[in-house]
Amino acid sequence: MIFEKLSKLVADQFGVHPDEVTMETSFSQDFRADSVDLVELMMAVEETFSLGEVEENDLEGIKTVGDVVEYIKDRVKED
Amino acid sequence: MKIIVDAMGGDNAPEEIVKGAVLAADELDVDILLVGDEGRIRALLVQNPAQNPAHISVQHASDVITMEDNPVSAVRQKKDSSLAVALRLLGEGAGDAMVTAGSTGATLTGATLFVKRIRGVRRAALAPVLPTARGGSLLVDCGANVECTAEYLTQFAFMGYYYAKKQMGISNPRVGLINNGAEETKGTDALRETYQVLKKASQEGKINFVGNIEGRDIPEGAADVLVCDGFTGNVVLKTIEGVGLFFVGKVKEIFMKNAVTKLAGAAVKPGLREFKKMLDYNEVGGAPLLGISKPIVKAHGSSGAVALKNAVRQAVIYAKSGVVGDIERSIAELRQSEED
Repeated sequence: MIFEKLSKLVADQFGVHPDEVTMETSFSQDFRADSVDLVELMMAVEETFSLGEVEENDLEGIKTVGDVVEYIKDRVKED
Repeated sequence: MKIIVDAMGGDNAPEEIVKGAVLAADELDVDILLVGDEGRIRALLVQNPAQNPAHISVQHASDVITMEDNPVSAVRQKKDSSLAVALRLLGEGAGDAMVTAGSTGATLTGATLFVKRIRGVRRAALAPVLPTARGGSLLVDCGANVECTAEYLTQFAFMGYYYAKKQMGISNPRVGLINNGAEETKGTDALRETYQVLKKASQEGKINFVGNIEGRDIPEGAADVLVCDGFTGNVVLKTIEGVGLFFVGKVKEIFMKNAVTKLAGAAVKPGLREFKKMLDYNEVGGAPLLGISKPIVKAHGSSGAVALKNAVRQAVIYAKSGVVGDIERSIAELRQSEED
């Protein structure tokens, strides 16, 4: 469920089809994402999944779509 | 028409920014929303009263983003900074356009996060006007994106084309690709690919692509829109500035040699002053951020009141011209033709 919602967000931001997004998709390697792209995506994630603000330190560990899924799971558990 | 102005951004903020905003309100007949330290802004407005005070309003923001701040994190961490508040206000529709003389990096990041890019635009670009023999050329990109793919460069070409058309009043702007040779086989993979895409688009009448432009052809105005990655753009801009200053200094030296040359110097002084003025930021105003869904003008960090007023004028034209809509349509068409 998280992945389905997330893949739509990712696809929308990077201009690809949702089917092209997998757990292994790397933001920097597959989409040439820079730090602003990543912050932009995580702001959309905050909103879509009703999470509080993503800390700067947390951003550093996020390289792939799978990392974001894990991050969302952890945050939902905390709440 | 309401223009949001970041009152705390730039080397001469808030004094010169507030003065410039008052000048703009008086001369351009627009509403200005000044964002920043309300106490300081109000005090400056007392010293520099507007002819029609109803044209100026103030939104308090307690913090300031400095040049030392990390541009990506500062706009998120310093939520109550004048720049972040001004950009959020623009994103929410509190004004038609926004002007800042603050940090370029933070402006670009904040614009992307709070105002958002036009749908389909992969990267926003900073596009200053370079002084040339033909008046000026728009340089896209100039520092925002160090590494660019052919897709980014192609989008820069279209964004620049429409901006030059509407804002600079050129009916069919000549678009060139800055490269290390005129032949289409020159340059990096991204440049060669961009060349082919633009060549095809030009044949279809979608853009006026004039091919590769070498560095030496830039000052004569070989193209109205110069497309390159941000790294190249920055080097080109700074080189032209430096050469201009070097040239003016050398000429001055020659004229100051003895009594006869000094006399000759006096005769050409007005011409030289004109030349220096041509290279002066304060006359131009600022550089637009292209690709953002609302008009943003980045004034030079050292802007004085006149430069700020000129940047506001530029923002007014940008907002009225419908460039954002044109870019949106052309990017959608580009993406459609890629899919076909």
